[in-house]
Amino acid sequence: MADASAGERLIGWYGGVAEKNLSTRPDFVRNWLMLGFQAMRGKVHLAPYGDLLPSGNHGYQLFMDSVVGALANFDNAVVTSIFTPNEIFHALGARPVTAEAVASFASGAQAEGGFIAAAEGRGVPETYCSYHRILMGMATSGVLGKPRMLASCSVACDANNLTFKTLGRFWGVPHVYVDVPYDVSRDSVLYVADELREMGRATEEAFSRKLDEGRLREACACSERTMRELAATLPTRRRRYLANTMTIDMMEMLDLHLSLGLPECEDLAREMQRDFLAASPYEGVNLVWAHVSPYFLESLGELVNTSKTAQIVASDMMFEHVTAGDAWFDASSPYEFMAERLVRSCFNGPATRRADCIELLARETNADAVVLFCHWGCKQTAGAAQLIRRQLEGAGWPVLVLDGDACDRANCMEGQMSTRFSAFLEMVEKRKEAERHAS
Amino acid sequence: MPAEQQKHNELFYACKYTPIELLAGFGATPRIAEADVASFAYADALAHPNLCGYGKGLIERMMAADVHEAVLVTCCDVVRRVYDVLQASGRMDFLYLLDLPHRRGPAEVALFRRRLRALADAYAAYSGVQFDVGAACAACGTGVARADDRVTLMGAHASASLVAEVEKGVGMPVENATCTSRHLKVSPPPQLARMATEPACGACCDGGATPAGNPLDAFLDWYAPALLGQIPCMRMDDIAERSELVGERGQQGVVYHTMKFCDYYGFEYGALAEKDEIPMVKIETDGTSQSEGQLRTRLEAFGETLRARGGAAQQAQPAPAVSGDAPADTKAAAYVMGVDSGSTSTDVVIMDADKHIVATAIVPTGARAADAAARAMDEALSQAGLAASDVALRVSTGYGRDNIEGMDSSVTEITCHARGAHYLAPDARSVIDIGGQDSKVIHLNANGSVAGFVMNDKCAAGTGRFMEAMARVLEMDLDEFCRRGLEWRHEVRITSMCTVFAESEVVSLVAANTPTPDVIHGLDVSVARKTATLASRVGAEPPYLMTGGVAQNEGVVRALSEVLKAPVATHEDSQLCGAIGAALIGLQSLG
Repeated sequence: MADASAGERLIGWYGGVAEKNLSTRPDFVRNWLMLGFQAMRGKVHLAPYGDLLPSGNHGYQLFMDSVVGALANFDNAVVTSIFTPNEIFHALGARPVTAEAVASFASGAQAEGGFIAAAEGRGVPETYCSYHRILMGMATSGVLGKPRMLASCSVACDANNLTFKTLGRFWGVPHVYVDVPYDVSRDSVLYVADELREMGRATEEAFSRKLDEGRLREACACSERTMRELAATLPTRRRRYLANTMTIDMMEMLDLHLSLGLPECEDLAREMQRDFLAASPYEGVNLVWAHVSPYFLESLGELVNTSKTAQIVASDMMFEHVTAGDAWFDASSPYEFMAERLVRSCFNGPATRRADCIELLARETNADAVVLFCHWGCKQTAGAAQLIRRQLEGAGWPVLVLDGDACDRANCMEGQMSTRFSAFLEMVEKRKEAERHAS
Repeated sequence: MPAEQQKHNELFYACKYTPIELLAGFGATPRIAEADVASFAYADALAHPNLCGYGKGLIERMMAADVHEAVLVTCCDVVRRVYDVLQASGRMDFLYLLDLPHRRGPAEVALFRRRLRALADAYAAYSGVQFDVGAACAACGTGVARADDRVTLMGAHASASLVAEVEKGVGMPVENATCTSRHLKVSPPPQLARMATEPACGACCDGGATPAGNPLDAFLDWYAPALLGQIPCMRMDDIAERSELVGERGQQGVVYHTMKFCDYYGFEYGALAEKDEIPMVKIETDGTSQSEGQLRTRLEAFGETLRARGGAAQQAQPAPAVSGDAPADTKAAAYVMGVDSGSTSTDVVIMDADKHIVATAIVPTGARAADAAARAMDEALSQAGLAASDVALRVSTGYGRDNIEGMDSSVTEITCHARGAHYLAPDARSVIDIGGQDSKVIHLNANGSVAGFVMNDKCAAGTGRFMEAMARVLEMDLDEFCRRGLEWRHEVRITSMCTVFAESEVVSLVAANTPTPDVIHGLDVSVARKTATLASRVGAEPPYLMTGGVAQNEGVVRALSEVLKAPVATHEDSQLCGAIGAALIGLQSLG
């Protein structure tokens, strides 16, 4: 965007240095980026944001710690896709880091353009998911080192199959792929559970460590409590000021996948509930956000970041498991427990499952409207967009389908996006006002 | 099943893992859903524009009145959503989504077999037809013999018209190995066929006896692993077997088809391009038959490259004389003419037998390529003081090459540019040509022949049209645009290469009072980056020679040099490169 703030310009310069040196000095670029990431990690610990809730700052810190920690010790890391269960890795003391988190770091540093060009130069299609293009570019340009292994699952996209398989060959490290059947059935769960057992064996081999089944059960029990705690926050979010931002919402979402199974993640979910219970009432527009968000677009962020006008009250990426219904398995059967979460995810199966999840979130949080963000290259979301819109509108929620990119600025028409978003918020506000008058 | 439909129970499918033989056993007539449609009106409205052309085409095709039954497979994200859209429409009599495993081990075969059985039960309940194992076995067919000299079409789904176009363009038989082209590697065992005609023996089934039990179960026991055992498509977890598609006897080259918003096949193309084992050209379509000009150029150029590789002299193929003039005496006359009919200008070169350029002409192409060519040829002949009959051979190239009267032959601009570049700069190993309509990078062998080439996709990103559009946004002519770009002081990053997005960025920069030279420089750099990405795909290496209209833009040339970290040379006659190459090919064909 042309009228960038001084901070944005500084980061632009920082990212530009990385881009310029990418083809000739990948080691320098790695160190340069790590320097910035470490500085940012220090900043969020030493000078937390005053306008966020304590849980918001802790979510930010947890995210920075887990991702920077994994990048700094990359040969002990497992690169995963967002919905891959991480309890096995936590139980083995390995550090999972997702494609989305790594790419978000590069994008946050405004260095995504160089990595995307590097990936496209190797034949990665320009219409491929930008998170994955960035990760591919970071890997193949030599900026990322070599992780210990890769693990991905077919939820929620084809890219999880392609990127990880390709990088496994490129790095010469093991890649475990968990194929999640389409239907919700015990048959599907048992099949995935066996795949997860195989993932456990492959991880043991890659790290030359023995998986302690007791620790795995503990991690799964921790996940179970965290998910329950998190689901309990939904009604608490109703009409309360969450003091969040697009960035914080994304980071908390990533935390609640990356660190699920760890006590600090459970603590975060508990703290969120405490914060929300104590939060002040909120009169603005409450939005359910579907899919990822373009947190770096200042003009959009201004509309919802710690704003009295509008806020994101929940996102389907964070609550993808809430449609689970009555579970068949609990943490005492850890593999089946993790498998069931995957099979029942609203990102698996038909578009109606996703729409049902978003509708449930809107109902539970008493949201005013829904924004469905069609991230560039995400065919499952794009293809479902109109179906979801029709279902939600039919149930009474205004829906904005917003096209853009959550990590590649080149695919965002910021002016048009912010105009559409602002107009939508104005429309929802008017509707709220009318409802208030009517009541 | 409605009565009228029972007469023609066509069942439409897309994926090669669709169990069409099983469905044929229930009396269905499976038919692949060709998705070569004129527009994506339904698909864009019901789904989203950012789906692959095949997926959108499938929605269009399946919404047509003649489609009542369809079986789709969870083969990719887009097809899953195509199913959702069709399901929501509620207009199909029978619509089924078959879940396909990503692996092919024993557990997956067992899982897949259960799913096939569920589909069979659903179709039996819908159709009221009992399974006929004989019909299912008969539908399995036999293998297809491979032609000796052929090209293999790999990658994303190709419509019948695309296959025909490839065959015509390359000039060789085409073996279709795209994602929807199916081929079972094994035939049904004789025991299964016997089940259709003989009663079960009631004993165990080995030694060629007729198997006991349910024919459907017996068929599925054989069929599930056979269907999964095809050469895997790219979405399968283990794709090692796909190496069988490349390098087999008789295969002269590979035409690799990718589609915008299809995730899978760009990856395989990238991997094959790196290995450099076989001549390969990439074509990208959006599933419609638009952009044929670019496709034709690529395919014909690829055919020329294959024939040159095959040892045949790269000769222009004489075409029947179109004009009423008497053919020139090729031995007495010593001149040849090269005509490059481009989208912006038409260039003509007349060359003598010693490869000296004796006359040149450059005229704007305007609305009619043939008229511009006639004007340019007249101008060149007049400049050289020659009559039309003094020219022994005329060779055309460029987009309009087949629409110019009086040509003896036509050759693609890829081959001509390579030849012309070698003439202008014998050391050059890579030609970067950015014209009005497309940009291309040609990697040359030391002798000036084409080692490989890539062209931009059909959008205007990185071409002369892009620069013209940006100059218009800045309200200046192209000369001023090029000149002002050299006066930049501060770097401005233009992230978008899409003409529409970039225009929005430029407008925002102007609104923020960013100095115009800095904006232009940002655009120059973005074009250079896009071109460098293209260059890396074909393994381009220095020395570089830049040709085409954009070579006149010094800002882009400098930016390219910086991005490629090597000098990028231009030549005063670079605009004539294609026409020079055409003339040289003409001379060669005269012997």
